[in-house]
Amino acid sequence: MSNPDIELMAHLMRRAGFGATRDELEEWVAKGYEAVVEELLYPTDPQNLPDDIIRRYHTEQAELRLADGAAGYWMYRMITTRCPLEEKLALFWHGLLATAYNKLNQAMALLNQIDTFRRHGLGSFSNLLVEVSKDPAMIIWLDNHDNHKDAINENYGRELLELFSMGIGNYTEQDVKECARAFTGWTLGNVEYMAMRASRDSIWPYSRIAWHFEYRDYDHDDGEKTFLGETGRFNGEDIVAIIARQESTAQFVSARLFQFFAADEVDEDGEKVIEEMVRSYFDSGQEIRSILRTLFNSEYFKSEKVRFARVKGPVELVVGAVRLAGSYRTPTQGIEQVARQALYMGQGLLQPPSVEGWHEGIEWVDSGALVERVNFVAHEMANVRNPGVRRIIERLAAENGGVLSPEALVDHCLELLGPMVVSDDTRSALVRYAAHEGELVLTGHQPEDESEQRVGELLRLATATREFQLA
Amino acid sequence: MSTHTTQVNIRLEYVKTIGLTTNNTGRGFVNPYDTAVSQDGRIFVLNHSDSARRAMMRVGICSWDEEYLGEFGKGAGTGDDQFNSPVAMAFDSQDRLYITDELHHRITIFDSSGNFLNKWNASGSGPGEFNGPAGIAIDGQDHVYVADQHNSRIQKFNADGSFITQWGEAGSGRGQFNLPWGVAVDSQGDVYVADWRNDRIQKFSPDGDYKASFGEPGEGDGQFYRPSGVAVDPEGYVYVADWGNERVQVMAPDGSFQLNLRGQATLSKWAEDFMAVNPDEHRTREMANLIPNLPPHLNTPHHISSQTEPYFWGPVSVTLDREGRLYVTEANRHRIQVYQKK
Repeated sequence: MSNPDIELMAHLMRRAGFGATRDELEEWVAKGYEAVVEELLYPTDPQNLPDDIIRRYHTEQAELRLADGAAGYWMYRMITTRCPLEEKLALFWHGLLATAYNKLNQAMALLNQIDTFRRHGLGSFSNLLVEVSKDPAMIIWLDNHDNHKDAINENYGRELLELFSMGIGNYTEQDVKECARAFTGWTLGNVEYMAMRASRDSIWPYSRIAWHFEYRDYDHDDGEKTFLGETGRFNGEDIVAIIARQESTAQFVSARLFQFFAADEVDEDGEKVIEEMVRSYFDSGQEIRSILRTLFNSEYFKSEKVRFARVKGPVELVVGAVRLAGSYRTPTQGIEQVARQALYMGQGLLQPPSVEGWHEGIEWVDSGALVERVNFVAHEMANVRNPGVRRIIERLAAENGGVLSPEALVDHCLELLGPMVVSDDTRSALVRYAAHEGELVLTGHQPEDESEQRVGELLRLATATREFQLA
Repeated sequence: MSTHTTQVNIRLEYVKTIGLTTNNTGRGFVNPYDTAVSQDGRIFVLNHSDSARRAMMRVGICSWDEEYLGEFGKGAGTGDDQFNSPVAMAFDSQDRLYITDELHHRITIFDSSGNFLNKWNASGSGPGEFNGPAGIAIDGQDHVYVADQHNSRIQKFNADGSFITQWGEAGSGRGQFNLPWGVAVDSQGDVYVADWRNDRIQKFSPDGDYKASFGEPGEGDGQFYRPSGVAVDPEGYVYVADWGNERVQVMAPDGSFQLNLRGQATLSKWAEDFMAVNPDEHRTREMANLIPNLPPHLNTPHHISSQTEPYFWGPVSVTLDREGRLYVTEANRHRIQVYQKK
């Protein structure tokens, strides 16, 4: 039953996206692996739930006053997009260039930042850093609006070097100061009013006013600066260009992309892949797309040892389960609760805990979060009214005339849920459960009848396994 | 500034803004979706709110002088006087207020003191049944027209709820609808429908015979993007809440373009009260340019309105009163901008 092409494509879609249904996998496989990688790297027509529909039926996502509404909006996008890498990469940048609602009180600015990640996330890293430096949410988040010609604030300059590019140990305190000087005058329109409203969480008189970048020439320090050994009357763009040329920056970006998309831990073979990624960074003029192409097409990435070796992040888990179940594809009351579920599991969209983003990997799974993770997925997958679950039932019913032994039922379900690779113990436990009621007969099944409910219950159990928690 | 007049046949003068954001009950609005004016001139505002702030759903009442008079239909729920997703409302000749609810699939009728009178709540697709009732309009004989959005039709009733007729089906041809929203009736009894996802206004006879269609998709004069509300004055001028373009357009009786409004809100009395007790916030506001130039990636109507406080943002409905005043209800700004026809 197992098909290596399907398994490899499923692996790619779990990493470069949020997983895929069996129908989607068959569609992708027909195109060929490398062609699919290219399609992912050039997102053109996401076909996500349209904004007009969302805004008509969700006032909170039209007004975007609070984080809940904005998180719900992004959830719809991740759930319904046909360009999953675009959203997955936006999620990556959101974790790396982390900015959170709690200081801003400005959800639309955050969604605009996520859109910046969509527009620039696959392009030149240098351009991305310039855009992020101009991003109003980032400016308020790291106090660059308080970085003035005659009184610098180093916060943004420091994090740009430490957390967003080169990493600690690759620059001096003087470089931080010079970097900050270069970003003086980079602020937002009506900054005095906007900063006051943000600090007070003011929604008066007529709700939030969204933010835009403004360059104040009169507040910019145009003097000579020496930064990383280079001297000139640098502005912010010049500083970013110097940063982007550094080997340490290429290493940093490549390693973070590797850890997000390939493996939580970097082993010896992983180091070699990162070296290739670094080479792609410089060969391509610092293009993120090229680094990812190198990664996804590497033998290391395709190898068995990388599969199911990463713990799914909460958003990955939630979106993946909803996409598999086929729910929330049209306006649905409670979409904000889907985003909240990820928050309860430790990853609130638009609410990273600090500028360092989230601690990923095994840290996602503590006992409390695990219960939330299992319950959410089980709830979605056991609901036989969900279109994705109905599709699984249809495919099962087409097997062997709809008559399935406990072993066949388990194996087919695992295949349609992934394909999922489970341990012998897990498979035996699932078969024992399925055997309680003997052979499953789906012949002539009716919506929500007993035979369908049996499938739903098995899906509930199969997705509650350790294996489903891994990507 | 925001009034662009192409012909001299009609002029609209900005009068004032009513409203204030609130995250509570009482004075202020919460994502208002519609406005209706009673015979004694009181202004009823339908606070749609959202699923996360359901306790604030209600109808608020204020006077022309912006005195907050009270509210009813408070809190989401299944009770007779409660809502789930209220969309639009209209008064009949007896000053009874009819309110649609697209998720309860019902029309609820209140007296003008806010007391529950009756409800029509058959869910389905048969005659007299609803699937997502949205816009509502009542003619001079108290015939009630409802945009039954997911059934892609207009239904016509007597004031007692008895079904009279229906027309429409899903599609983009003449007499077909794609998620219809607002409805209006003119002095001749003709019916206008904001055919939301077809980006046009369709006009029908009182019996549902197709008469005309105005508009096409786009951002230009006479074009619409997701029109949500429509109103017709006694002279036949048609006012359209061009929701997706964040503006109001006025058409002549023959459907030709007259003018656009982009909005020019000022501080309401309630907003002035807020500023009076928050002088430092007021001071920084006074320094701000509330109509800023924006970078190219933010130059869509929705982005522009989110950044430009005086402009309409989420103009869901347009309402006319007996004095020829135009009330533009803005869901995302929690206020109503009022214009006077000259």
